[in-house]
Amino acid sequence: MNTPSSLVSNASSEAEETLRVIAKLPAPEGLEERVRGALHEAPRGGQILSWPVKPRWMESGLARSAAAAAIVFVVAGGGWGVYSRVRPAEAPNVVVMPRTGGFSSAGAMRTPKTVDGTVLAHPMTKPAMQAAETKKATHAGKKSARAKKPANAP
Amino acid sequence: MSASQSVLAGWMEIAPDAVQDETRQHAEEEALAALVSEYASTLYRVAFSVLRNAPDAEDAVQETFLRVLRHRTSLGEIRDHRVWLIRIVWNIVLDRKRRSKTRPETDDIAELARVLPADGLSAEQRAAAAQHHAHVLQCVDQLPAKEREVLVLSAFEELSSVEIASVLGVTESSVRSRLFRARNLMADLLNHARMLR
Repeated sequence: MNTPSSLVSNASSEAEETLRVIAKLPAPEGLEERVRGALHEAPRGGQILSWPVKPRWMESGLARSAAAAAIVFVVAGGGWGVYSRVRPAEAPNVVVMPRTGGFSSAGAMRTPKTVDGTVLAHPMTKPAMQAAETKKATHAGKKSARAKKPANAP
Repeated sequence: MSASQSVLAGWMEIAPDAVQDETRQHAEEEALAALVSEYASTLYRVAFSVLRNAPDAEDAVQETFLRVLRHRTSLGEIRDHRVWLIRIVWNIVLDRKRRSKTRPETDDIAELARVLPADGLSAEQRAAAAQHHAHVLQCVDQLPAKEREVLVLSAFEELSSVEIASVLGVTESSVRSRLFRARNLMADLLNHARMLR
């Protein structure tokens, strides 16, 4: 009889055998050539665009650094020029005065009057609430009895 | 070249010299070609073990090398190219698997019957073997993702548990515990399926 551990090992080895068969499958013929072809056709990013006319002085590293520094200088200078010319809008010096002959509000704000809610003079206690409920029930009973009574009844 | 010059040159992506640039490009191409010759087959097998479809697996391998091409400048910093490449292809195939719709089961069996080695097997035996493997693979697909991934990668004899851990980005001990759980779950699934038959 198979023990549980042997069952586990048999079943798992069966699964691993299948996975091993899959893992050992050979790659299709010409895979490498096709991959190389795809790589050859792929666009290569980050390449330097060459100028149509390339002066000799551009080939030296120093000239390139100078050109880069000049670009940085022009961009930064331009930015500073714009910043220094633009003035922020000043705060108006004029104070708005009230019309002659009238009164100013003096900054007062109108607050609408609101209706106050019900205010309980005495907070309801539990016995008081029960008494109120009993009273209400009695009142309702009387009302229903009155409603049931016909209009011409004595 | 001074430090500031090199910084500016790097910032503007200016090659120091046209000749040097050509040489560098040639060296990169050669390194990439060497990687393709050495690892394309391994990457294909890893991709096929997850996707179980030859054209998809080949596409995944091509995508892997295209990604390598994009990051070719950092090739020198990679310590273990094999594990690095397997990690890339693994991420690609998992992403594809997640996005693709499930194919009908018959397709899997037909594909397996086509690709499985037929050493002296009759057509019937081959079909039966394909069916058996397809059934086992169905059970593998039922495993939780973490356990399934470890089980699939452990079938590659060339990958040690340390390398599997590196591909999956986990510790070696968690690889071992996941493998243990995967084996137990697989046994349960296969025995349950056997009892139902």
